[in-house]
Amino acid sequence: MGLTGRKSEKGPVCWRRRVKSEYMRLRQLKRFRRADEVKSMFSSNRQKILERTDILNQEWKLRRIQPTSKMHIGFSEFSRQVIPLKTLNAVASVPVMYSWSPLQQNFMVEDETVLHNIPYMGDEILDQDGTFIEELIKNYDGKVHGDRECGFINDEIFVELVNALNQYSDNEEDDEEEDQHDCKFEKMDLCDGKDDAEDSHKDQLNSESLNNDGSKKFPSDKIFEAISSMFPDKGSTEELKEKYKELTEQQLPGALPPECTPNIDGPNAKSVQREQSLHSFHTLFCRRCFKYDCFLHPFHATPNTYKRKNIENLVDGKPCGIYCYMYMDGMVREYPAGVIAERAKTPSKRTVSRRRGRLPNSNSRPSTPTVNTETKDTDSDREGGADGNDCNDNDDDKKDETTSSSEANSRCQTPVKLKLSSEPPENVDWSGAEASLFRVLIGTYYDNFCAIARLIGTKTCRQVYEFRVKESSIIARAPAVDENTPQRKKKRKHRLWATHCRKIQLKKDGSSNHVYNYQPCDHPRQPCDSSCPCVTAQNFCEKFCQCSSECQNRFPGCRCKAQCNTKQCPCYLAVRECDPDLCLTCGAADHWDSKNVSCKNCSIQRGAKKHLLLAPSDVAGWGIFIKEPVQKNEFISEYCGEIISQDEADRRGKVYDKYMCSFLFNLNNDFVVDATRKGNKIRFANHSVNPNCYAKVMMVNGDHRIGIFAKRAIQTGEELFFDYRYSQADALKYVGIEREMEIP
Amino acid sequence: MAPQKYSAQVMNCKANGAVYPSSGVSSIKKPKMEQLQADHELFLQAFEKPTQIYRFLRTRNLIAPILLHRTLNFMSHRNSRTNAKRKTFKVDDLLSNVDGMKGEPGSQSLTSHLQLTFTGFFHKNDKPCQNSENDQNSVSLEVLLVKVCHKKRKDVSCPIKQVPTGKKQVPLNPNFSQTKSGAFPSLLVSSNEFEPSNSHMVKSYSLLFRVSHTGKRDPNGFINYEADENFDVKEELPSRKKRNSSHRGDGETPETFVAQMTVFDKNRRLQLLDGEYEVSMQQIEDCPVSKKRASWETILDGKTFSQGPTLQFTLRWTGDPSTAPVAKPLSTRSSDTSTTESRPSTLRNAPVVAKDLVSTSIQTRREQSPCEPIQKLRIFYQFLYNNNTRQQTEARDDLHCPWCTLNCRKLYSLLKHLKLSHSRFIFNYVPHPKGARIDVSINECYDGSYVGNPQDIHSQPGFAFSRNGPVKRTAVTRILVCRPKRTKPSLSEFLESEDGEPEQQRTYVSGHNRLYFHSDSCMPLRPQEMEVDSEDERDPEWLREKTTTQIEEFTDVNEGEKEVMKLWNLHVMKNGFISDNQMSQASMLFVENYGPYIIRRNLCRNFLLHLVNLHDFNLVTTATIDRAMAHMKEMEESLPELEEGRESSDATCNGHAVSSVVSLHGKRSKSGVSD
Repeated sequence: MGLTGRKSEKGPVCWRRRVKSEYMRLRQLKRFRRADEVKSMFSSNRQKILERTDILNQEWKLRRIQPTSKMHIGFSEFSRQVIPLKTLNAVASVPVMYSWSPLQQNFMVEDETVLHNIPYMGDEILDQDGTFIEELIKNYDGKVHGDRECGFINDEIFVELVNALNQYSDNEEDDEEEDQHDCKFEKMDLCDGKDDAEDSHKDQLNSESLNNDGSKKFPSDKIFEAISSMFPDKGSTEELKEKYKELTEQQLPGALPPECTPNIDGPNAKSVQREQSLHSFHTLFCRRCFKYDCFLHPFHATPNTYKRKNIENLVDGKPCGIYCYMYMDGMVREYPAGVIAERAKTPSKRTVSRRRGRLPNSNSRPSTPTVNTETKDTDSDREGGADGNDCNDNDDDKKDETTSSSEANSRCQTPVKLKLSSEPPENVDWSGAEASLFRVLIGTYYDNFCAIARLIGTKTCRQVYEFRVKESSIIARAPAVDENTPQRKKKRKHRLWATHCRKIQLKKDGSSNHVYNYQPCDHPRQPCDSSCPCVTAQNFCEKFCQCSSECQNRFPGCRCKAQCNTKQCPCYLAVRECDPDLCLTCGAADHWDSKNVSCKNCSIQRGAKKHLLLAPSDVAGWGIFIKEPVQKNEFISEYCGEIISQDEADRRGKVYDKYMCSFLFNLNNDFVVDATRKGNKIRFANHSVNPNCYAKVMMVNGDHRIGIFAKRAIQTGEELFFDYRYSQADALKYVGIEREMEIP
Repeated sequence: MAPQKYSAQVMNCKANGAVYPSSGVSSIKKPKMEQLQADHELFLQAFEKPTQIYRFLRTRNLIAPILLHRTLNFMSHRNSRTNAKRKTFKVDDLLSNVDGMKGEPGSQSLTSHLQLTFTGFFHKNDKPCQNSENDQNSVSLEVLLVKVCHKKRKDVSCPIKQVPTGKKQVPLNPNFSQTKSGAFPSLLVSSNEFEPSNSHMVKSYSLLFRVSHTGKRDPNGFINYEADENFDVKEELPSRKKRNSSHRGDGETPETFVAQMTVFDKNRRLQLLDGEYEVSMQQIEDCPVSKKRASWETILDGKTFSQGPTLQFTLRWTGDPSTAPVAKPLSTRSSDTSTTESRPSTLRNAPVVAKDLVSTSIQTRREQSPCEPIQKLRIFYQFLYNNNTRQQTEARDDLHCPWCTLNCRKLYSLLKHLKLSHSRFIFNYVPHPKGARIDVSINECYDGSYVGNPQDIHSQPGFAFSRNGPVKRTAVTRILVCRPKRTKPSLSEFLESEDGEPEQQRTYVSGHNRLYFHSDSCMPLRPQEMEVDSEDERDPEWLREKTTTQIEEFTDVNEGEKEVMKLWNLHVMKNGFISDNQMSQASMLFVENYGPYIIRRNLCRNFLLHLVNLHDFNLVTTATIDRAMAHMKEMEESLPELEEGRESSDATCNGHAVSSVVSLHGKRSKSGVSD
């Protein structure tokens, strides 16, 4: 134990011991907290169950039950009691089902780096084949979830640990107390998990130290040294120190992380640049799912490389009212004309600078003027760029212009002809939110001040105009038509397309069975040639690609007037569903709310699945049955599940094979659909060598998806089967071992 | 044991009875007893269970028929009813008809005469002689009224008075097809006999039937039926015959059968209502069936209806003695509903079963179909068992179904009936010079699977009576009328098909003839829940929760942005937008649905940022932004309670933001996502 000489010993050994004991204590605390959480969760679930049973019991009471025989119980010494007899019929047992979550669209998950649980397959198997589990764990580099390895430490524990240790350094001089603490910890080490009281005591201490943290001095280096020596993989002393600094700074109440823009609707709204205001929206929005932070696409392209398809009419020709800025002196005659003239000859583009994160890398065109928007709150010198006026702007407003104004001015080839009114402008307060909003809107509406004012709501167009004048230096110009990509002639296009499609299709048929996942290409100022990822993956460019809409590799869509269910339809031929943004004649873009779409080639994207019913299969385990009859080749359902990488599928497949039950389905060369944990009802379809359904992997608006279709006419109530091993789509191959029968 | 030759076998055909599984092995000289027994065991093993089941079903069908055989297409000759009356039927006449019936005296009231009309005495001889049912014979029947009086003090037992009421000659095994109506003997018992005002206090009255018959065909029997009509037979004739032949000769045995039925019980309750009766008769001086040979067919009450002798008669209480006791054909009696409905179910003395009208319905003339002339047919049933290596043969002289004693009257009908009603067996028809041979084997494919409503099995007890109103049922397509291409009835369809594969039969119940389960809870799906697809929603609850928590996890996204993003995500998930050109419509719908919420939570500018974002991604036009925001403005103005609400919500919103940032600190950042 080394009790001797502890008093004298203040060196690293002692600290190490402290680190260890504190660490153990915190871990234990965490365990307790977790146990409490589990307990409370259990009781709340229990409550829900009770509520539900209450409802059922009420319902049962309301039912008129068939008059049943009554049980008369009579003993001589007790009064007679009568109880109605209720017979409970024997209920046939149902096949085993492991719980799963319903899903109507695929859900991408990351590879699991730790084995979440050691699968249980009955004692016999474990006894027989111990090597299987070993191999399984080896697949995950020996990492099993919940393993009590000592090296585990996360940010939360780290901060708590440092805080807990900090008190020692505070009490350094008080040896006695320290010894006492040490004794306690010693005890705790010995009898792990017995003394709750001490923990609460420690908690108090801990919280006190936390509260005082702000005022106290930074924890001593000794602490970090000790931690670093205990957990060498977590970095050096200096690194830990930095990390601690970083983590604690954020913890100040109300403080937002530095990269977070303040809420524009909140009281703390600050005046920031357009890119900053929109940064969250830009980065999180998935242009393919139309959602923020979608479940399916891990990589989201930011919008600034997208080009306007058409220049909207940005300026209302008419003044918005009698107080419109256009009635300001000199405006009516000059301004609109000036704008138009300017736009005609200005080839400058919108700014593409982003605040941070994304490098302004290959996307940004060289000619693009970059505005330096790195602003600090601190430097707010008033160094007005273009303002001759004397309004009392906020410091926040000012600072934006400071650094960039001169540069922007110099780059701007034809500055807007801005006539300032002779009369001095009113003194208007622009709040941070308003200023930010203005900068956002000016990037969209350009010089349509009336519209901007309308949207801001609290300012007149005259005030907006004046603000605009003040900020003119940094405001982006309206983009002009990008002439980098030469346009093809429309007439030629179709003929080209027909041959092109056929060529590509032939190429696909002829070559190997590899189908690669689609990823929008992004190579500015480069045509989609052999270096384009879409071309090399033998995919068409989609509307999500950054290339020009005239790109040779783009799929043109169909112009069918029929149902798009024959090979006459180029979409059908290319094993694609009709794209509602490309195929405008077949009906894929009509009737959004009804199921009667003339185009039969857009069922997966619309989720026009058939009603399926679950029942014990006639073959094995559970089966899926169709409610209404379907015709041949009709769409039945999409096979949904988690999208996992091929590697992950290999790892999971090992377990599934052992279970003799697999829901893996190859999607393409990169990904596999696994319906084990998440899926939809079609996952219960059994395998058959003489099936009534077939599966087809289709390209649906840039995503590969698995459609299950009727192989023949299917009657009401028939069980659905498809061949796991084979499919029309060349991409399909059953993952894992092929079995005659699936036992779910 | 080599397969026996069927022709060598002489089987004892029980009257109307089921197949009697005794194997007459007389042809084998020295049968090894054990072998025989083992073989018998095998036979029983194969055929006992299904036969028992069909036996039970037969009885059930007699008591509570679920179908009428005469309505079956192949049994049409059993249907004696003509629809001639339908042509003249008018609804308007219903009332007058009923009125006319009311004028008649009620049949319920005790009237002055008890009229008994004897249809026949049915008794199959053990001998396979030529004495088949086609030959007329008769037995003499004596009916006695037995009065059991109250015991007086000195009496040891109850004094019994027997009042003879008459003697009749009753046809033995009559064939209805050759009997003219009105040719049945009948008896009248005056109701005075049942008057209580006799010297003794009568406890109960019962009728005692005593039948004596020689068991041999009477050469000078009453072939001419008109002769014995309404006559009391000279009793000397049959009885003398009986005595003459009293020595135990084969078929010469005079046998006496008796049966007793209570008319009034000791509580003076009338036990015999109007109706048709079949009384099982007990043989008096005959030993009962030897226990050794008794098997499941025979030991029901010692004797069964099908086997033992039975007496059929019609009982009526009539008010008018002058009415000629005419026994009409039974089928026409069926129009008399009052009599048929009152089934005698309380009979005690003898096992009596009200004869099913169907099974005894008299066929009319037209059914004498030319394809099957009445001829004596012998049908050999060859039972194959033990993987078709063993067989036993039985022969029958009639066209009754051996399992349910239904008289099929035609070979074709018989085969069809066997095939359709007794599908636990496989029947194959083989033509035979003397009639027909039917190979019977066990249908291994018979699974007895339930094809009814699965709900009936799985529903909780008392479900049928627990409804508070109409209850939905699972949609099951049952074929009520199926008119497939009918081939001409021909016996060839029963021949064993060469390919061994029976013709593909259409299932008669298709559709959802199984119980479905909820995919989430594995609970049985009730019929009223069939229409709702339990996973129809594009945004299941967990996914909605997931997207909110996932957005909430971001550390570098402010609370206003989070709120708008969450709302928008839920909106997109709910509506499932899939194309760019839906976005403008989606934005407007978003305003429509979430506008008030956005205003109340003070998120308008964040929403505007969102719209600009959509515009930046080239998904909406500025016109959409303008319209959406204008709509928002309108909403803002029409929300009256806004001013007060704003302050508080503002505070909560910000407070919420702080807490969420702290609690979720360090989880995720958008820059991490985008890189």
